[in-house]
Amino acid sequence: MIRGLMTLLTLASAVAFPWPLTAFLAIIVAPFEPLVPIAAGLFADTLYWTPGSGFLPFFTLSGAVLTVVSFFVRSRLSTGRIGG
Amino acid sequence: MKRISLARRNALLSSADVSWGVGALALALIALLFRLIAPNLFWQATAPAFRVADFLSEKNHAVFSSFGDSAKLAAKNEQLLRENAALANENHALLERNMSIEALARLSSPSIVAGVVARPPASPYDTLVLSRGSDAGVTLGQEAFGEGGVPLGVVSSVLADFSRVTLFTSPNMIVDGWVGQATLPLVVYGAGAGVMRASLVRSAGVVEGDIIFAPGPGKLPIGTVVRVDGDSSSPSVTLQIRPAVNPFSVSWVELRDTGPTFVAGLSWATSTEL
Repeated sequence: MIRGLMTLLTLASAVAFPWPLTAFLAIIVAPFEPLVPIAAGLFADTLYWTPGSGFLPFFTLSGAVLTVVSFFVRSRLSTGRIGG
Repeated sequence: MKRISLARRNALLSSADVSWGVGALALALIALLFRLIAPNLFWQATAPAFRVADFLSEKNHAVFSSFGDSAKLAAKNEQLLRENAALANENHALLERNMSIEALARLSSPSIVAGVVARPPASPYDTLVLSRGSDAGVTLGQEAFGEGGVPLGVVSSVLADFSRVTLFTSPNMIVDGWVGQATLPLVVYGAGAGVMRASLVRSAGVVEGDIIFAPGPGKLPIGTVVRVDGDSSSPSVTLQIRPAVNPFSVSWVELRDTGPTFVAGLSWATSTEL
């Protein structure tokens, strides 16, 4: 339930709060929900990015990097456990 | 022979762990498709959410401001009232002068007032989304002015009911302008996060507080030099420039055609998408 609320809060913050807070929330949620950073980045760029405002959709790319890092860290932690 | 059974786990994707993430990604993809297929409808659907966020932000600001020292606030209020009266008089005189100049130059081009739907810092690219589009007469390349007629940026994309202004502080924006009373020419670069920068030779003698001007109808102030950076052995200095109007709090803008001189002095990208 907490994960769900944090996920929704991260997406809502792209509309309601300054972007550094969105980025902070995405970093907090990333270890538990690795796909949230890329989703938040994609959502922020959907709202704000145009070709005139920057060469690359910076927030989607940043979210993707954070998602990959989160999956990698989780995979390293998971391989240490047997069964489950 | 006893077999040890290990539960197979996919470390990357397990349904229990990533369900909220998958939902969020699906939502973001749906929003992206919506924007690509029907951009005008997309902004009509999302604009109310931005307005609610704006309203909540204003309420929060009022609540936090009320914790301030009331005596200090009263003194500040009195000082601001005095300054406001002086500025109103000055503004009136300037308005009269401006009207006579416009009458002489026949520069009375029609202007469009537009509300701001989204602005920095929620918008991370130093752009404004406006609630007026081509149906209201907004066109690409129009200059956006804030309170007091201060230039803020340029219309970089237009839809039927919405448009987007790229601010002078956007990292993609390059403006030819002038600095100080001596009107030394310089190139102003947007640095993002509501800041602009420019480089100039040290011997020009630019100091903190000098005004930066951009072309418009005449020479208009767009910002103030807040810091002069540079090694004393270097022949050039970097100017840190703060915009004359805070883009983080602008709630409306005025859009006007300012002629080919202004557009020629810009380097920026336009888009047919929003």
